[in-house]
Amino acid sequence: APALRPSRPRRGPAAPRQHQRGCPRSAPGLARLQRIGRRGGPGRSCCGAPAGDMGLEPLFQAWSYFRRRKFRECADVCSQLLERPPGEQVAGAGPRREAAAAWNLKTRALTEMVYVDEIDMDQEGIAEMILDENAIAQVARPGTSLKLPGTSQGGGPSPAVRPVTQSGRPITGFVRPSTQSGRPSTMEQAIRTPRTALTARPITSASGGYGRLGTASMLTNPDGPFINLSRLNLTKYAQKPKLAKALFEYIFHHENDVKNALDLAALATEHAQFKDWWWKVQIGKCYYRLGLYREAEKQFKSALKQQDMVDTILYLAKVYLRLDQPVTALNLFKQGLDRFPGEVTLICGIARIYEEMNNISSAAEYYKDVLKQDNTHVEAIACIGSNHFYSDQPEIALRFYRRLLQMGVYNCQLFNNLGLCCFYAQQYDMTLSSFERALFLAENEEETADVWYNLGHVAVGIGDLNLAYQCFKLTLVNNNDYAEAYNNLAVLEMRKGHTEQARALLQTASSLAPHMYEPHFNVAILSEKVGDLQRSYTAAQKSEEAFPGHVDTQQLIKQLKEHFAML
Amino acid sequence: MSLFKARDWWSTIIGEKEEFDQGCLCVADVDNSGSGQDKVIVGSYKGYLRIFNPHPVKPGDEVQPEDLLLEVQLREPVLQVEVGKFVSGTEGLHLAVLHCRKLCVYAVSGTQGNVEHGNQYQIKLMYEHNLQRTACNMTYGPFGGVKGRDLICIQSMDGMLMLFEQESYAFGRFLPGFLLPGPLAYSSRTDSFITVSSCQQVESYKYQVLAFATDADERQDTEQQKLSSGKRLAVDWVLNIGEQALDICVVSFNQGVSSVFVLGERNFFCLKDNGQIRFMKKLDYSPSCFIPYCSVQEGTINTLIANHSKMLNVYQDVTLKWATQLPCIPVSVKVANFQDLKGVIVTLSDDGHLQCSYLGTDPSLFQAPKVDSREINYEEMNAEMKELQKIIREATKTQDVLPESEKQRDVTVTAEVSPNLDEESQAIDSEVKAGAVPSVTVKVTIQSRVTAQKPSLAVCVQAPLAVTCDQFVFGDLEPDSSETVVLSVFLRENCCPSELEGTCMVSYNIPTGIPRVAQCNFSLPLKLICFPTQPSKAANHKLTIDTNKPPISFVTIFPDFVDPSEGDQANVLGFEFLTGSKTTLLASKTSQRYRIQSDQLEDLWLVTKELIHRLQVHFKKQNCKDFACTFSGSIPLQEYFELIDRHFELRLNAERFQELLSERAVQFRAIERRLLTRFKDKTPAPLQHLDTLLEGTFREVIALADAAEENQASMFQAFAKLKSATHLVITLISLWQKLSTDQVAILEATFLPLAEDTQELGWEETVDAAISYLLRTCLSKSSKEQALTLSSQLSMPKDTSRLKKNITLFCDRLAKGGRLSLGTDSVTQQAAVMPGGCATIPESDLEERTIIPGSTAMFSSNGQITKQKSKP
Repeated sequence: APALRPSRPRRGPAAPRQHQRGCPRSAPGLARLQRIGRRGGPGRSCCGAPAGDMGLEPLFQAWSYFRRRKFRECADVCSQLLERPPGEQVAGAGPRREAAAAWNLKTRALTEMVYVDEIDMDQEGIAEMILDENAIAQVARPGTSLKLPGTSQGGGPSPAVRPVTQSGRPITGFVRPSTQSGRPSTMEQAIRTPRTALTARPITSASGGYGRLGTASMLTNPDGPFINLSRLNLTKYAQKPKLAKALFEYIFHHENDVKNALDLAALATEHAQFKDWWWKVQIGKCYYRLGLYREAEKQFKSALKQQDMVDTILYLAKVYLRLDQPVTALNLFKQGLDRFPGEVTLICGIARIYEEMNNISSAAEYYKDVLKQDNTHVEAIACIGSNHFYSDQPEIALRFYRRLLQMGVYNCQLFNNLGLCCFYAQQYDMTLSSFERALFLAENEEETADVWYNLGHVAVGIGDLNLAYQCFKLTLVNNNDYAEAYNNLAVLEMRKGHTEQARALLQTASSLAPHMYEPHFNVAILSEKVGDLQRSYTAAQKSEEAFPGHVDTQQLIKQLKEHFAML
Repeated sequence: MSLFKARDWWSTIIGEKEEFDQGCLCVADVDNSGSGQDKVIVGSYKGYLRIFNPHPVKPGDEVQPEDLLLEVQLREPVLQVEVGKFVSGTEGLHLAVLHCRKLCVYAVSGTQGNVEHGNQYQIKLMYEHNLQRTACNMTYGPFGGVKGRDLICIQSMDGMLMLFEQESYAFGRFLPGFLLPGPLAYSSRTDSFITVSSCQQVESYKYQVLAFATDADERQDTEQQKLSSGKRLAVDWVLNIGEQALDICVVSFNQGVSSVFVLGERNFFCLKDNGQIRFMKKLDYSPSCFIPYCSVQEGTINTLIANHSKMLNVYQDVTLKWATQLPCIPVSVKVANFQDLKGVIVTLSDDGHLQCSYLGTDPSLFQAPKVDSREINYEEMNAEMKELQKIIREATKTQDVLPESEKQRDVTVTAEVSPNLDEESQAIDSEVKAGAVPSVTVKVTIQSRVTAQKPSLAVCVQAPLAVTCDQFVFGDLEPDSSETVVLSVFLRENCCPSELEGTCMVSYNIPTGIPRVAQCNFSLPLKLICFPTQPSKAANHKLTIDTNKPPISFVTIFPDFVDPSEGDQANVLGFEFLTGSKTTLLASKTSQRYRIQSDQLEDLWLVTKELIHRLQVHFKKQNCKDFACTFSGSIPLQEYFELIDRHFELRLNAERFQELLSERAVQFRAIERRLLTRFKDKTPAPLQHLDTLLEGTFREVIALADAAEENQASMFQAFAKLKSATHLVITLISLWQKLSTDQVAILEATFLPLAEDTQELGWEETVDAAISYLLRTCLSKSSKEQALTLSSQLSMPKDTSRLKKNITLFCDRLAKGGRLSLGTDSVTQQAAVMPGGCATIPESDLEERTIIPGSTAMFSSNGQITKQKSKP
């Protein structure tokens, strides 16, 4: 993984809109930069000389490997050490302290190999959303909940300019786990929610994702698991704090066995007479995964009383966000900033919450604060860049993206965004070459589809409708769930006068992405033109539902109503 | 990721396949030259000790041979090198080298030569200590506040701190609760050792306390004693940081304020003397090493932190001041002063890449690699583009057009039904209660004139009939080859089929990849589902079919049912269906009539159809063209309505079951939710029989589901009967009104729109809508009726009275001479009565035009449009 916040971009600026009466196209989408969770160290490195040709102590060798994050080698040396006294695998049982030390080291090495910062993990499955008992009010007051995107208080751009996600939030500049899925309100909606080709089904339960992360570890141990959890006497280990902490992390991160981890942590915190904040945080983490948010909150709060730690604050804020109390989380972050001034993760947390609450200007402020503390922060740069792009300042956005490029971010999404910015900033010479590079760097069909989609916009912009048509077709070849492309293709078909084809395409678009207002509105226009007023009216109403502030829709509805009144 | 790269001032790669770690790098003026010029001392796990004096002529130069002052191979791996005042009686700097089981202190001295490359350096062993235990790392300093000399403290792998007062061994102490060694540092301000234990705590031990604790060497026999000795070793302070640490540094730049810096695996801490956190920073990368190097601004301390992403970050407290890229991952970083250059960053990677660098401001921008671009040949590209566009145009042109003509069928499929039933029945899993279920063999042949790729054959018959195998997949067919498969058809479910027909369908790809389909139909013999039996005289339902020819003996037309021994005068024939019901066929001896009678209306259908069919075939054979059947009795609507009601009732039941099921499911979820809260509760509360309720609801859900399934099965049977009856009614109506084939087709489309009926879209509403449409268009009496608009949504009706009324009305209108047609005359009629203000929808005209290709019709409808348009 590259340095700092490695990042994946997100879908880029989407379509320019036609402002004559009639068919708007979906906005172009800036690709979202994404973050890769911090993973364990590099794999097996080539320069691992076998231990001790100069008589290095094997345990020391393993310890040194661990410090250099050569976990594979470390685990191998430890395994050899553990095999030496036969039948003495149980740590701390015999008089051999070395065995215990090697066991501990191997446990830690195996954990580090699959370690992903728990704070970055956030997936909400259907089960979590539907069986959510923590909701306080069914209808939250505006500005206090993440569930209702609400109208933008911070003067954010309208969906006409900036594409929105399923749940109606403007798309951010950076892919984070929680930005990927909207929060459906009913079971039916959750199941019906269209998925991309990559994930055919919604995540049914969060534990699935964790399990998959964990299975990586199974491959590394052909002889079966290193520690057999079912035979473990947790009470015994809980009384040995030095072993217990490593064991807990192993069970939690490597085995993903939250229940056993929780048992161990509960015993250990009791043994520590509830004086060790670390155990409380771990119990909180377990509770969080089990969906017991209130209990997790108690543990984290109690831990914070004992010792102020950045991680604890982040965990607690995560709990509040899951409980849908963004304002509490904001306050917590701000208190945290008093204690740890200038902590980037806290400021960034605030910015993300503001962004999710649709308060774009505050979010931008905080992202700027992040850059003051850490000017290599990719997420902040990407988010500010996309903000500028969607607020019609492509030149400034271009500078932010160029900075990312100079810093060494080199991927499809970035070039995609650069290409779009160049186009809108009227630097036509760079546009096509950027897109060319983006296509060259695209790693999967989804990315290729994004690039072709944006190329289609460029083609529309220069008036080459044939090229545009083919670009959108290519988008669909690469990703046949691309609702925006269907919509735009329909607009092109409509221009050619192929009404029926346009209608079919629009229908596909609206069934793929019911949250987009464009297909509905286009259907309304189309039906109105052919005289099918009833259908036009229903479509217009759907469009208004998706985007209440759309002036053209309102006008159309008004006109239709007059028409009906006349009849 | 950064804009900048560490500018290479001097660098070299040491040794081959040697390993280095944190302790292997040290920077000091080790030869006491007094010039203030630091030397770089590097030890390796291979036992090499090297001293460098970097002085490049210009930055980035190659290494000069004289830069390497000294290289010796020691016998043991070098774990750590430190420089300090280790020899008594002198304040000069000496070099301490830590091996696994030995500590050596050397003096390094140089002799000036005449020219630069003539300088000679050597090391001289001052003293050495053999260690009882495997060493891990060491620290040094003026322990106990001694002036002018440094003492050494070595941490062993098993947790003993061994203290050496220069040439003599002072004492050893075990650390309590030790498991794995952590980093070790000495704080001179508080005179204490600071380490991070396996409990993930920063621990501080006073030197005084260590000195006065029980001597570990005397009491190390057993674990127990060691622990007890450890207990007496009291900790000064403890801070739980919740992670393992990589390194500890104690620095004090501002007078009076000293800080303990701890580099954890995920966070970076700065602690006060008393172990409180001054500040901390969460790192979003994996750090590898660090060094706090100076204080630029009052009250803040600058730190270099290198990480495993090959970056070196400069922090002022927690603010990132600079980030720079390194060529490799360093395991150790130091800051040194050379010649005229102060503050050079010295880094060492674990494979021996030693680099001295500085933070240049000229950015080393990331150069995106060139996309491999071809020489552009415009002519070729133009030609290729044209070619491609041609292909695209071709593809888009032929996309929606139907395959050319039926004559040039590439693949034909034929089905041949064997005239006799199988001798040995092939029926499997039949639910029919009758003793033996017969089956009939169908031979399907596929003939191909071209290459057909991946052909697959599907044979389908309407349930309750079934085939032994309904899917066949073949290998690619060569041109002019054929495939034959044999299968059997039999009655599977215990009800009577409404039609005795089946379909074969072959799907295949032609070599260009376009998928194609070929199909054929086949009809099955009546014998498959019934057998001759004794005729019965009495029956509930009777139909009489009139013909215009004298009656034919059943021996002639039903040879397969009549026993020839009965003679040719057989005019009564009995059929018994496999399901058990009976139908009797009577031929009048005198008049030209046939009578069909049965207890069930639906059972009449198949026999009636067979009779008419066989009569037609028979007369065709005799070249008698004016044969016709008629029906003059009244249509048995009342009996038909009973069947409709029965079917509708079952649909209502199904709906009720569905509602109940969803109610119970909601209840189930609600109970689940309550139980969940109960279980989540910290204090266990009684369940208050919620579990019983849950189980009860679960049972109810299952029972309801079972009932719904049963209902579905009987609904399927009812629908089959309804279909049979409908076929019968259609036939009777067409015989009664002597309808043409086109009209019969309309009638069939009206009454049998669905292959299957479902809860959402059922037979009743569809037929109702179709009949209402016909009543309003071609069968309408007045223009007033036509103006009514149709409701766009089909939904299940509340009862069937409207449908019955419509069917009755439909028959009435037909009787009064209504003509069934969808022709343009009705459209013109309709258009004429449209109110003038409302223009016709052009789109629907388009549709009409495509449906009816008649040229006269086209003309009239076109004329209509122009007229319409000129109106407003």
